[in-house]
Amino acid sequence: MISEYVERLARELDFDPSLSRCVRREVEDHLWEAVAADPEGGGLEAERRAVANFGDPHVIAAQFAVVSLAKHAKRVGVVAVVLIAAVFIAMKARLAWYAVMECPAGEMGGLGDIVVSIDRYAFWLSVFLGMAGWMYIDSRRVPAAFTQEFRGQLSRFFRLCSAATGALIASVISDGVLTSLRLSGAARSPDALLPVLSMAVEIACVGVLVSYLRGMTQRTASTGRTARM
Amino acid sequence: MLKGHLDMIVLAALSAGPAHGYAVIEEIKRRSAGAFDLPEGTIYPVLHRLEQAGLLGSRWVTADSGRRRRVYAITRRGQRELAARRAVWDQFSNAIGGLFRGSRPHRNPA
Repeated sequence: MISEYVERLARELDFDPSLSRCVRREVEDHLWEAVAADPEGGGLEAERRAVANFGDPHVIAAQFAVVSLAKHAKRVGVVAVVLIAAVFIAMKARLAWYAVMECPAGEMGGLGDIVVSIDRYAFWLSVFLGMAGWMYIDSRRVPAAFTQEFRGQLSRFFRLCSAATGALIASVISDGVLTSLRLSGAARSPDALLPVLSMAVEIACVGVLVSYLRGMTQRTASTGRTARM
Repeated sequence: MLKGHLDMIVLAALSAGPAHGYAVIEEIKRRSAGAFDLPEGTIYPVLHRLEQAGLLGSRWVTADSGRRRRVYAITRRGQRELAARRAVWDQFSNAIGGLFRGSRPHRNPA
């Protein structure tokens, strides 16, 4: 009976595999201890009592879902800041490479100046918004339930992160334009390898950030559904 | 009403020393003389939440039974939080006590 119950609870916690494994082990220990402490001795009846006292797995999973979502949101905050920093390092590495290789800036003209400005302002905007999002979500208390207040906090955090991602995308696109202008004609030369690689890193960082945000929306929706059921 | 104070109850139960989930529940029952008899499963999300907030720490140990067991302990931050909540609770309790002491038994107007 205990194995069945623990199995059911673990299935309910499938949205977070590591949490599911951890809770399964913890609850199994709890239930066997409750059986051992049962005043009427062990047996199937004691197992039934232990399981009944523990409560509905769905209700427990709904409470864990909120804790897990809050943890995930905090992780997204950290990931956003780390990825923005990674884009910054990739940018600086490319500029350092240009300096070492004495690669000329090329003929970019007025368009180039505009793109440079967009790149600069968009990047620093993403830094500001990413930091604000991370500090905001990190300073929130983990709630006990999926309350309206928690939904509001997640929504504000999501908007900050989405705006940071949007600004980062604009910066990476500008970087792409500048890199292609600078490397026009030398794209197949080995000198172009590091700039192209650094661009690939920047694009990958944006991709990872978008997928984290998408994951967060899905998690929020599924936690909302679990909490309502 | 109890739900709103679960964090404080769990922190208070762990203030005596590190314990695993089952022992925390037993301690709550014992200290409240059975008044707080919650569905046992509700304690675990609270323990995880308090750990995430940095108010509790945990480690896995092997019990005498050979099973792996997670033992929770209150952190310094948790102790500070408990002291703060206790101060608020004492203030509230004194205020309500004062109100009750000042009230008179209801008289039937007829």
